[in-house]
Amino acid sequence: MSPVHEQTVNVTIHNDVADLASVIEMVDRVGAEAGIPARAVMQLQVVLDEVLSNVIKYAWPEGGSHEFFVRLTVQDGRIEITITDDGNPFNPLAQPPPKPPPPGRRPLPGGVGIHMVRQLVDGFEYVRFDGRNQITLTKRYSLDPPS
Amino acid sequence: MTNTALTMTETRSGNICIVSLAGRIDSTNAGDFTTRLSGLISSGEKSILVDFANVLYLTSAAFRALLVATDEAERSAARFVLCSIAGQVRELFEMGGLLDVFTIHSSREEALAKLG
Repeated sequence: MSPVHEQTVNVTIHNDVADLASVIEMVDRVGAEAGIPARAVMQLQVVLDEVLSNVIKYAWPEGGSHEFFVRLTVQDGRIEITITDDGNPFNPLAQPPPKPPPPGRRPLPGGVGIHMVRQLVDGFEYVRFDGRNQITLTKRYSLDPPS
Repeated sequence: MTNTALTMTETRSGNICIVSLAGRIDSTNAGDFTTRLSGLISSGEKSILVDFANVLYLTSAAFRALLVATDEAERSAARFVLCSIAGQVRELFEMGGLLDVFTIHSSREEALAKLG
């Protein structure tokens, strides 16, 4: 079967970290179908875990069950992921980078995930519109040479 | 399916408890990872080695678990060390700025020799 280089997949998940497994599986499947190199697939999975777990943590502080949306598009060696939620305004790009710990002290957890995302993608944007948060991540990849 | 696949296997080498990880460590399973490490420390293990040789990738949720375990081990006067962090897993530790935070040995043999 020849790789499917162009496709769009939509996934609806809830604000429950257990739901992230279905997104990670979807990236495995699309990665295999589109011939995306394993390293780029792995990096996207790290990125999605960080960004989606942030949405789950911050968008609905009042609790309750909420749906939000992930769309992944593959086209011409470029992957675009859009994440849309109707929770509280939260701009991950406005978070400060992790502070270096005082000498001899261990760093406190926090801020590390988004710091990693910035290094793993080519594009990272946030917009607030219509009462929604929308994050757009883009990543370019080179097609695997035929083996 | 409630988490992406992570398996944690415990073996012993003398007084050293070795936890071999395989798969992905992310926010779906980092809680299980924390529980497992905390359980070992509270049960009185004094030398714990976590082997990353078969880890595909990890996210900041895993770093949080490792930082918590490092603190708990320190309070219990236990040694908590990592080994076999290579390739893309090593790159992720670097990106997180956490390569210098933990005691890391290049191989299991080297770690066992230092702990033994």
